[in-house]
Amino acid sequence: MTDVKISTERVLELIAAFGAEPGAWPEAERAPAVAWIAESPNLFSAALAEARALDNALSLEHIPEPGPALGDAILAAAPSGAPVSKSLFAGVSAMIFPQGVRWPAGAAFASLMMGLVGGYAYAATGPGYDQAELAYYAAFGGEIGEDWMVSE
Amino acid sequence: MSGISELDQITRATSGDRAAQAALVNRNMPIVFRVAYRMLQDRAEAEDVTQETFLRAWKALPDWQPKAKFSTWACTVALNLCRDRLRKKKPVLMDELPERIDTALRPEEALSSQQALQGIEAKIAALPERQREALSLCALEGMTNIEAAATMAVSVRALESLLARARRALRAGLSAELTGER
Repeated sequence: MTDVKISTERVLELIAAFGAEPGAWPEAERAPAVAWIAESPNLFSAALAEARALDNALSLEHIPEPGPALGDAILAAAPSGAPVSKSLFAGVSAMIFPQGVRWPAGAAFASLMMGLVGGYAYAATGPGYDQAELAYYAAFGGEIGEDWMVSE
Repeated sequence: MSGISELDQITRATSGDRAAQAALVNRNMPIVFRVAYRMLQDRAEAEDVTQETFLRAWKALPDWQPKAKFSTWACTVALNLCRDRLRKKKPVLMDELPERIDTALRPEEALSSQQALQGIEAKIAALPERQREALSLCALEGMTNIEAAATMAVSVRALESLLARARRALRAGLSAELTGER
């Protein structure tokens, strides 16, 4: 028994659309429909018999087999190696890093980080731009903080 | 190959694993061919559509997303190819033709005749295109209503309506045939 309710009309709709075999009915409605039919078989016996007859007729359908060469032809066109990815990044990566992107990418990232840290450390301890700017402004005038690279 | 998932099979097939490719073809080629045959009623054309479907599959597999079963995807492609061919053959859409009225008398008795059942293929072939698709996928290939609706790109309710109309038309057709023989 199931708690889900289903109407007589809906069960008849299921039979009309999917036939007499409950396995062919939508899964969510199958159990309540079967339960309702078991409870009131007389309501559905005619529809079920009619649907079952058509199900039997459909089971007699005969379709020719495809030719034996079809499978071979399909397999002959199957990919033989690694797939070609369509993404731009993957394509560029494959050109730059033919051995794979993992280690070269890691090395490039490490180099970048070393450069940034080294550059920052040098800038913090060595003669900075402030002295150069002071010399420039002393020579040509202007105020510190002014955007001296932009003319006009 | 039965122990591996379809996604594994597709991944292996994509990387050139011949056994996985053969398994994928063996599992799905029959349903694609049958669906195409029911639509086109021609073995050579159904074979062409089946081959074209798998050619497209080989191209699509590297970017495969496991949103649907392979068979659902393949049947969608096959049905689209069939529709293109049918459209080129006859400009009048079958779905626009009026549906036959169910005038069946004693359908159970009528359908019990073996002679009438022998013509079931012809009756299926005479159905309007969309009804034939729905019947083929659901009643004859055992797809769920959700899978079949997705394959046909229609709602589940629309699929159900197509199925009911197809079955009603078949009953009418089979009954009429028997009545005419008496």
